[in-house]
Amino acid sequence: MKGKMEQFERQRLIEEGKNLKEGLIALEEDLLKLNDKLQLEAQRIPNMTHPHVPIGGEDSSMTTKLVGSAPEFSFPVKDHLELGKELCLFDFDTAAEVSGSKFYYLKNDAVLLEMALVNWTLSEVMKRGFTPLTTPELVRSSIVEKCGFQPRGNNTQVYSIEDSDQCLIGTAEIPVGGLHMDSILAETLLPLKYVAFSHCFRTEAGAAGSATRGLYRVHQFSKVEMFIFCRSEDSEHYHEELIKIEEDMFSSLGLHFKILDMASEDLGAPAYRKFDVEAWMPGLERFGEISSASNCTDYQSRRLGIRYRPLEAPVASPRKSKSNLAPPQFVHTLNATACAVPRMIICLLENYQQEDGSILIPEPLRPFMGGRSVISRKS
Amino acid sequence: MKMSCLKGTTISFSCLKLAFPSYPSSFQNLPFRRTIKPLSAALQTSPATSPSTTKAEDQVARSHWKAAIDFKWIKDNKEAVAANIRNRNSDADLELVLQLYDHFFNLQKEVERVRGERNAVANKMKGKMEQSQRQRLIEEGKNLKEGLIALEEDLLKLNDKLQLEAQRIPNMTHPNVPIGGEDSSMTRKLVGSAPEFSFPVKDHLELGKELCLFDFDTAAEVSGSKFYYLKNDAVLLEMALVNWTLSEVMKRGFTPLTTPELVRSSVVEKCGFQPRGNNTQVYSIEDSDQCLIGTAEIPVGGLHMDSILAETLLPLKYVAFSHCFRTEAGAAGSATRGLYRVHQFSKVEMFIFCRPEESEHYHEELIKIEEDMFSSLGLHFKTLDMASEDLGAPAYRKFDVEAWMPGLERFGEISSASNCTDYQSRRLGIRYRPSEAPVASPKSSKGNLAPPLFVHTLNATACAVPRMIICLLENYQQEDGSILIPEPLRPFMGGRSVISRKL
Repeated sequence: MKGKMEQFERQRLIEEGKNLKEGLIALEEDLLKLNDKLQLEAQRIPNMTHPHVPIGGEDSSMTTKLVGSAPEFSFPVKDHLELGKELCLFDFDTAAEVSGSKFYYLKNDAVLLEMALVNWTLSEVMKRGFTPLTTPELVRSSIVEKCGFQPRGNNTQVYSIEDSDQCLIGTAEIPVGGLHMDSILAETLLPLKYVAFSHCFRTEAGAAGSATRGLYRVHQFSKVEMFIFCRSEDSEHYHEELIKIEEDMFSSLGLHFKILDMASEDLGAPAYRKFDVEAWMPGLERFGEISSASNCTDYQSRRLGIRYRPLEAPVASPRKSKSNLAPPQFVHTLNATACAVPRMIICLLENYQQEDGSILIPEPLRPFMGGRSVISRKS
Repeated sequence: MKMSCLKGTTISFSCLKLAFPSYPSSFQNLPFRRTIKPLSAALQTSPATSPSTTKAEDQVARSHWKAAIDFKWIKDNKEAVAANIRNRNSDADLELVLQLYDHFFNLQKEVERVRGERNAVANKMKGKMEQSQRQRLIEEGKNLKEGLIALEEDLLKLNDKLQLEAQRIPNMTHPNVPIGGEDSSMTRKLVGSAPEFSFPVKDHLELGKELCLFDFDTAAEVSGSKFYYLKNDAVLLEMALVNWTLSEVMKRGFTPLTTPELVRSSVVEKCGFQPRGNNTQVYSIEDSDQCLIGTAEIPVGGLHMDSILAETLLPLKYVAFSHCFRTEAGAAGSATRGLYRVHQFSKVEMFIFCRPEESEHYHEELIKIEEDMFSSLGLHFKTLDMASEDLGAPAYRKFDVEAWMPGLERFGEISSASNCTDYQSRRLGIRYRPSEAPVASPKSSKGNLAPPLFVHTLNATACAVPRMIICLLENYQQEDGSILIPEPLRPFMGGRSVISRKL
């Protein structure tokens, strides 16, 4: 319409332009809606799976390592609830009145044990080059979703805050993942290794049964979590590193445990591969999960928008004006439990119980408990 | 201050509630209604001046917990109670409470009278009589029963309204508490002196930035404003502060605790907080009656709710470590930058349950513990006896500690120690059985058990981590931007004496 023309031709063009504009607006709206729907459906596609991961359900998970052996007791073994009761370590009953079931107070030496576990774990992981963090425990629900969790589904594990888009975190993985959201990191910064201490909150909706007594399944607990942001080619290496750190720590506490390569149906959407550690719990008379280490490859980073700028451009380009910057790539993220306090308390109480009802404190924790070597009845 | 509880009435209500099915109270149909109309009319036309009327009706509809308030005492001391309400600038309506109480008292008498009549009719029906007479008695009995049901419903509603209004009456006030607002608070003690710096002083945000200690910006994206990550040495500092504080307070005979951080909203209310008010400090959980705690005071108070403790157990002294969550609705201004006012923080809290005659002693003990700890960290601070308008409903008396924060160039609150006397215990239902009966009783069959009395509760901040971090960073900053770690904390930081830049 920029050129010279007859009035009626101009009029026709104006008309045509108007129609096209309206049509465009409608089309663009359709495009937005379609993209929303596409995203909604596509986000449900789980991460790809490592070729070595066994296909199938729970029973297909493979034990890759077995460490230590079950302790032998010359006296009847008690479970952590009974031991805790005699030693005045917990209160579940009052907590049920004050807060609801699956809540608890820790008392006396159990408080010292929790502090010792957290302090020791932080110290051990920091020695291995991880940066310590404490994190917000309220986060926007969009962050929860970007990490691969479902805050608003039925049977959601996530507590939501009234009149707010915020949720309580179920794991520090979420706020730590968010630490670098919508960023392009310099490659020289990678790997970024964090160890985060937080409280965690889980609704445990849909979880029931005898294995949920006492500390085994609770709504609130303290956890020390490891998180790594790295280059894509390094994630398998760091997955091995994380599981090794866990192995070393649990061994040094004298626990009897096995490492499982979790089967495809048990991975959870974000994980490319997941190693769980299950420790022997004599009172429960079975192995119970004490930690989980996942390689999420780029599943979370594509949602959180976390990329890195590789140092070297792929090929020398004649168009030097844009300089030789390689396009940014998505990082890989990994997370692993360094210490889930209630499960560790179960392990320590049940494995280290003595005939007189006292509990032996494993060596590494003693300096963190003022040098004490035993938890015994208050006189 | 004698406060006996209105125990009898409360218990009979719960029996009533269970015994009678819900019955539409249709006032107009029953001829009986005429005699009690003045009372129920008074109920319908509660003074519109009460600002909480609409909300009151909503809450009356819900069955709500009852505080063991000593109405008789309030009535007998109404001038003192009224003066206290004025001094505290409270919006409690004493006149309304007294009115409601009188109505309640009279309605209760009426209910008893009608009950008596009904029993009389029932007795009469036991004898032999003409059919017509029996029929009349049956009719009379039926009317009385229906009338009674309606009256009892009115009584329940009246009690709910009475409770609602009465629960707003703040605790009485210690005679030495200065009357007035913020400016009337009195300094009890001044410890240490402001450090002198030979270089420009930085605030904690700047120091934290240079030392890579915090991240507020990312936290604002991830969670919202007033959230933060602690990083590197700030994490160690937090752990050191918590570990050291727990250790120091345990040495003084306090039992360590960790607590639930989600609690039922009724427990929050019983401690004297308002989970559902406008500008509430309390986060609520969606589709739930649960809230996040703003202080461990709440779950620790709940630890002994609805209990009668043996006197020999008292005093019960707890030191609790928890995370705390506060909406900080309505708080704004420059003094809310950085760590000074945040939505989530770690706190170590002291809590004591004791006999009434000992609460003032333990209040002094708690403030002494705080002063000792803050002194040993080398802080410059003052202890304030808070004025009547700044007490908060549960506190009989409150001592705040404000420490010098060079970066803020003023004193900032780092702790608070309250004596709540029996305000919380009357709501939480916490009593103790005195060991000795007051007088040898001829009725030995019941043993010489003295009636249970309400405990007194006290709470005091041992360590509010972010405020302490501000104090330590700002007071101990060195010219090169590093931070000296005070002596007592060094063993808890692996022996280190300085926080400095990461290389």
